[in-house]
Amino acid sequence: MHTDARTLPNGTVLEADLCIVGAGASGITIARELSNTNLKVLLLEGGGFDFDPQMQELYRGEIVGLPYYPLQAAAEHYFGGTTMHWAGFCSTYDAIDFDKRDWVPHSGWPIRREDLDPFYARAQPILDLRQYKYEPADWKNGDSDRVPLLGDSPAFTTKMWQFSPPTRFGTKYRAEIVNSPNVHLYTHANVVEVEPTDGLTAVQTVRVRGFDGKEFRARARNFVLACHTIQNARLLLASNSKARSGLGNANDLVGRYFMEHFEMPSAELAVTNPSTIKTKLYELDYMKGTPRGELALSPTAQKEHRVLHGTASVEAGDPTDQVQSTFQFIDSAMITAVREWEKGGKKGPHPIGVAAAKLSHPISGPPRFYHLTTRQEQAPNPDSRVTLSSEKDALGMPRAKLDWRVTELDKRSMRTFYEVLGREVGRTDTGRVQIRDWLLGDDKTWPSFISGGWHHMGTTRMSADPKQGVVDANCKVHGLANLYIGGASVYATAGAVNPTLTLVALSLRLADHLKALT
Amino acid sequence: MTVDRRRFLQLATLGIAGVADSACGRGVSRGDAALARPQLLAMLGPERVRQLGAHYRAARPSEGSADALRTAISNGHRIRIPLLGIGSLDDQVRDDFAAGRTVRVDGWVLSVTEARQAALFSLTPA
Repeated sequence: MHTDARTLPNGTVLEADLCIVGAGASGITIARELSNTNLKVLLLEGGGFDFDPQMQELYRGEIVGLPYYPLQAAAEHYFGGTTMHWAGFCSTYDAIDFDKRDWVPHSGWPIRREDLDPFYARAQPILDLRQYKYEPADWKNGDSDRVPLLGDSPAFTTKMWQFSPPTRFGTKYRAEIVNSPNVHLYTHANVVEVEPTDGLTAVQTVRVRGFDGKEFRARARNFVLACHTIQNARLLLASNSKARSGLGNANDLVGRYFMEHFEMPSAELAVTNPSTIKTKLYELDYMKGTPRGELALSPTAQKEHRVLHGTASVEAGDPTDQVQSTFQFIDSAMITAVREWEKGGKKGPHPIGVAAAKLSHPISGPPRFYHLTTRQEQAPNPDSRVTLSSEKDALGMPRAKLDWRVTELDKRSMRTFYEVLGREVGRTDTGRVQIRDWLLGDDKTWPSFISGGWHHMGTTRMSADPKQGVVDANCKVHGLANLYIGGASVYATAGAVNPTLTLVALSLRLADHLKALT
Repeated sequence: MTVDRRRFLQLATLGIAGVADSACGRGVSRGDAALARPQLLAMLGPERVRQLGAHYRAARPSEGSADALRTAISNGHRIRIPLLGIGSLDDQVRDDFAAGRTVRVDGWVLSVTEARQAALFSLTPA
């Protein structure tokens, strides 16, 4: 079922067993899992079915601290959420990503990689991925040249990525949600407050407000906030009518530990023998979606060097190419161009491919040089946080204020990666590595092109201890009997790889938990 | 020059030790050919290697001369092949990487041996 919430009379109260706030990858996944059950499910989506600048404007926020991408362009606010502009990169987190690492402050999840394995497998078809296989040997595709570089190195492994088409949840799952007998989708239903009981032990209702000032409420036995990472924190912090510091924030943790994945050009590889080096496994064929690898620092090396988890893409190129960080390369105009290209039926070359070609030089013969671009987790940092701005949006809700902060460990880890890689490619006579200038300076200084990948994580992190995290291992908010969080805001650490596959896996796990409650 | 006679003979056996020949300029001899031809040349080309070598020397004044570089390279050499009493420079470079004896020059992660080779190369006429 679907209703445009703008048609509801002011003061309406909806009733359900479960109310899900936000219809992105997490909210839609949970709703689909609970579809055709006996549960009455409300799915509240702030936007409509299409991109709408007025709705997007609600995501505009204040940026303090490090420079960051405009928040209203970094996430999508309509049915399907940010899957409506994601690129489709998928990989699994490693066991070490869930461990408490004594060299990474605030690391450690209350769940292990094994706990997610069955959910990763279930997430694969949801994202239109191939088999649940992520070992390099699984993707040789009958080609003896698709083998790992540094195959015998104790310091490096090859981490494999699969590529979603990319699945646009708002397109692919719209009919299924709208036709569900027990899931009722309300679009244009912006939740502006989560309202707890007087004793602050549970959530009673959520309050929804429209641009015309009309309001309605949804009451349910259980609630899931499945908004984007920044918006989950914003909504909890803004729900301060009864809880002065915000809901679920008794320990001042909501909004803290905001994390990104660094995506920055970091080094060059010059190869010893261009005609014999095998780099096919690392080639990106985005249009075909062939799985590809990136060099990753092994768990052993991470421990030995006391650094974060990172990978590097290996892409042939001329040293004089203008290699840009993700934020530099994909600006707001590019996002618009990609949206228009998709809307127009994907005719002609992909806009990103066109732009990339302009920045690089043609290569004749076997490549002698490769660009190495970092993808690395950011160390959890309580000072990297989302708070509320004094400015309010058109619905009267305080805007988010992002204070993105990084640590010396982040930069030292990146540099160490390439130093160790330099030694390994030298030892194996594979080639030599040149680390880019910006990475050679002190660990406190970052270049103007510092970049993430729009992978917003943390802000309602998971921990068994209420003093260390906002949600428990079941994604339930500590201290509130019936409030759960879906999405990447629950991540305790960022891992090295893109977050969406893990997000969907965690959402499936949460859906199973919610089903078991009934 | 501090290379002892035995080591000098070992290096000479492989044709990598130089005989000082001031005619070649700046103390680099024709006999330095192998010593001053790092594997890097094939990867990066002479211009860049020359530049790397110059930067290496500039950062380490104590290794600014051909003699000092030759000595440093030969002192870094480890006996690997019993019959010959010595291994190749390529082996020495690989050993450097394996043992973490690396140095950064203009951001390049180089073996100390090849960095010195580049420095020696930078002293040869262009």
